[in-house]
Amino acid sequence: MTPNINVADPSETPEERSLANALTLEGEARAFWRMRWRMVRHALGQSLATARLRMSLVVFLSVFFWVGLFALFLEAFRFMNISIGHTATYGIIVQTIYSVFFASLMVMLILSAGIIIYSGLYCSAEAAFLLTMPIRAERIVQHKFQEAIAFSSWGFLLLGTPMLVAYGVESRAPWYYFVLLLPFMLTFVYIPGSIGAILCLVLVYRMPRLRQHWLVAIGSTTAIGLLVAAWASLSGGENDLLTPPWFLKVLSRLQFSQYRLLPSWWLSTGLLQAASKNPAPKLDYQPSWAQSLLFLSLLVANALFAHLLTMWTGSRLYRAGYSALHTQHTVRKRHKQFWLDEVLERSLLFLDPPMRYLILKDLRVFRRDPVQWSQFLIFFGLLTLYFVNIHRFSYEVNYIAWVNIISFLNLAVVGLILSTFTTRFIFPMISLEGRRFWILGLLPVKRDAILWSKFLFAAMISLIPCSLLILLSDAMLQITWMVIAVHQLVCVILCVGLSGIAVGLGATIPDLREQSPSKIAAGFGGTLNLVLSAIYILLVVLLTALPCHFFLVWRESSWAATWLAALLLGTLLSLGIGVAATLVPMRMGLAAFRKLET
Amino acid sequence: MIQFDNVTRAYGSKLAVAGLNLDIPGGELFALLGPNGAGKTTSIKMLVGLLRPTSGTVRVCGYDVVRENQHASRLLGYVPDVPYLYDKLTGREFLEFIADMYGLDPEQSIRQLVRAISDFELTDFVDELTETYSHGMRQRLTFAAALLHQPTVLVIDEPMVGLDPRSARVVKDLLQTKAREGMTIFMSTHLLSVAEEIAHRVAIVDHGRLRFLGTVDQLRGELAVTHTSLEHLYLSLTATPGEILEGPGPVNPADASEPQSPARFGNP
Repeated sequence: MTPNINVADPSETPEERSLANALTLEGEARAFWRMRWRMVRHALGQSLATARLRMSLVVFLSVFFWVGLFALFLEAFRFMNISIGHTATYGIIVQTIYSVFFASLMVMLILSAGIIIYSGLYCSAEAAFLLTMPIRAERIVQHKFQEAIAFSSWGFLLLGTPMLVAYGVESRAPWYYFVLLLPFMLTFVYIPGSIGAILCLVLVYRMPRLRQHWLVAIGSTTAIGLLVAAWASLSGGENDLLTPPWFLKVLSRLQFSQYRLLPSWWLSTGLLQAASKNPAPKLDYQPSWAQSLLFLSLLVANALFAHLLTMWTGSRLYRAGYSALHTQHTVRKRHKQFWLDEVLERSLLFLDPPMRYLILKDLRVFRRDPVQWSQFLIFFGLLTLYFVNIHRFSYEVNYIAWVNIISFLNLAVVGLILSTFTTRFIFPMISLEGRRFWILGLLPVKRDAILWSKFLFAAMISLIPCSLLILLSDAMLQITWMVIAVHQLVCVILCVGLSGIAVGLGATIPDLREQSPSKIAAGFGGTLNLVLSAIYILLVVLLTALPCHFFLVWRESSWAATWLAALLLGTLLSLGIGVAATLVPMRMGLAAFRKLET
Repeated sequence: MIQFDNVTRAYGSKLAVAGLNLDIPGGELFALLGPNGAGKTTSIKMLVGLLRPTSGTVRVCGYDVVRENQHASRLLGYVPDVPYLYDKLTGREFLEFIADMYGLDPEQSIRQLVRAISDFELTDFVDELTETYSHGMRQRLTFAAALLHQPTVLVIDEPMVGLDPRSARVVKDLLQTKAREGMTIFMSTHLLSVAEEIAHRVAIVDHGRLRFLGTVDQLRGELAVTHTSLEHLYLSLTATPGEILEGPGPVNPADASEPQSPARFGNP
């Protein structure tokens, strides 16, 4: 309880008594922390009591992911150290890697914190509830800001710590390097988080009417800018790619990430100073640990200042911005029949009308939700960009076996991106029917048809872009017709199997209470779906890629017939796995879906 | 206790509330009636500080809800139409959080919690997580939370939504008791019978404009004059031009837009 002891004065009116109980800043903070602590305790207790397997799997997968990344980074640092063999050059490269890595993460953190804070402060029921409480606006902003920092930083820690620890191990950094890692990272997160929060508060306050257009414009401009910058930094003439001049050119282009006023540079330099046992050449007037602490202090001071600025902005703009945003006139748009719906309706005439209309309904929902297709578009757009420019690596394209490996790697990448799409959008489809489920439940349609319609929808919208992308990749790599045919078959197996896994699992373990697809995807079911999808992709691609590779290597020897047979066998096995990956989860999903109560 | 001084709220070019003037004294049970989209919820959201008026002022006990928001909120209790509860808190923990928010000291907090749990019959489930509650249980807990700090003004958006007849009776009795004790109650409702039964004064709004303001007796007087039901009177007041109303009662929609008496129709 807050220790605001008020002695009741009998002469006080109820109003005076209420006003006398005003909470102090500390009282507000204590109340929120206590509420949060209780919620975390209950959630953990519930998970431990009822979902131990789920918890264990989440912990296991996180540890597995962390250890995998750590091993990868450790090997990469070792490889670089041995290959370069020159301490100063190695130091410059590591400094560049750190600076670019943290500068990119800073941009991502600004965007992700801004988006999370926007949805927390302006779109959540909790914010509306808290705004009616007698608390300061900046307290609500701080509450949601801390949530956003927690959401943003776990990914940052999971991605960043394996690399930093690996570098520490490889360079035999002193003990305080490892101790300083967390303080450095957590302090750093506060700065881009604050920038994202301030941008969000100012944008909503200044232009609530244009919020969507502006957000899309700013997001697209940033994404395009980053792409152009990345491309400009890494590209070069076709003939000097991966040569020392190209390398020096890239290093000089990446110099922007080492601009002295960037918090990401303070972080990378501070950490490298801590890892260094010797004073750095340009900062040799103090021991390296003192230099490191200096950079940590710089980060702490700026983080505190940024935090104060966020709260100050929140106290002035939040309530007004909330009101402005929620009193915008909603434009009611009439949606006419779209040509794509008509094409789809005609092309699905062989299906029963109910199933056809269910697919059409899902397509309309997909089409009218830019969040869904824009992510799909960005990922596949990036892949298209890469495939179109694949000929730049032409210095190796003559060696057919390597080309074949690259083509199968491209196939695996398309599959992996598709698996993130099926996890994020297809897996939550049944869960999202939650509150509307009675509509489907009462329809004179068999439940199996509902689930199969979702499967067909998923397979259809996956297959067309994936197949085209693989064709593009194969065309750019000038691959033989036989391999193109194998790729197309594997692509069909991947799309159908991944759709089966996502729809089947989504119906087997739905989360009917949750309304946010991202939270459903981030939960246990979504994680399981992603892991199973990744295993499935690896199996299917390896079973065809390896025999195909060896067939091409030995195509002119007596082993050619053996490896051709192995390729056929591998393709058949892939097909079998694909059928199993489609039917087993779908059968489980159908059984669970039939039992689901409306 | 509650004052709307020429309050207007626009959503873009559309006026949700147009020049609303209300002055509600202490101890009054006031009901705001109107069809969907009439401006009831907007008025309530302005009163509790969620939305700001485009022009005009809303005051609670003399405090401007925009400029002196914390003072005004401290004197208010609010029951929204869709209650918000933290799923991973028990009912008791939620009430304790509310007590913390209103700065109740430990002794006051314990006393008020015991009273609220008893008044709203929460004992059976107050120590369970709120995610397991039914709609009725959530509504009762929300009422208990809104009254925990003994507010001077209670604002309720659609108080009877989802309540069974027994719970609805309890709520009606409670509101009447609280009003007798001096609490000012401002509620919006679709249910004419509720307004008729418990409200001291009612206001009927339509398209953001006040169509009727007066006591229930004055409204009943109107009923006697026109020999029509309260429902029919309400429908007439909120009818769109040209709309033909079936059933008893000769009230002409055109008449409704013209205040028959300054005491009952239009702004006071």
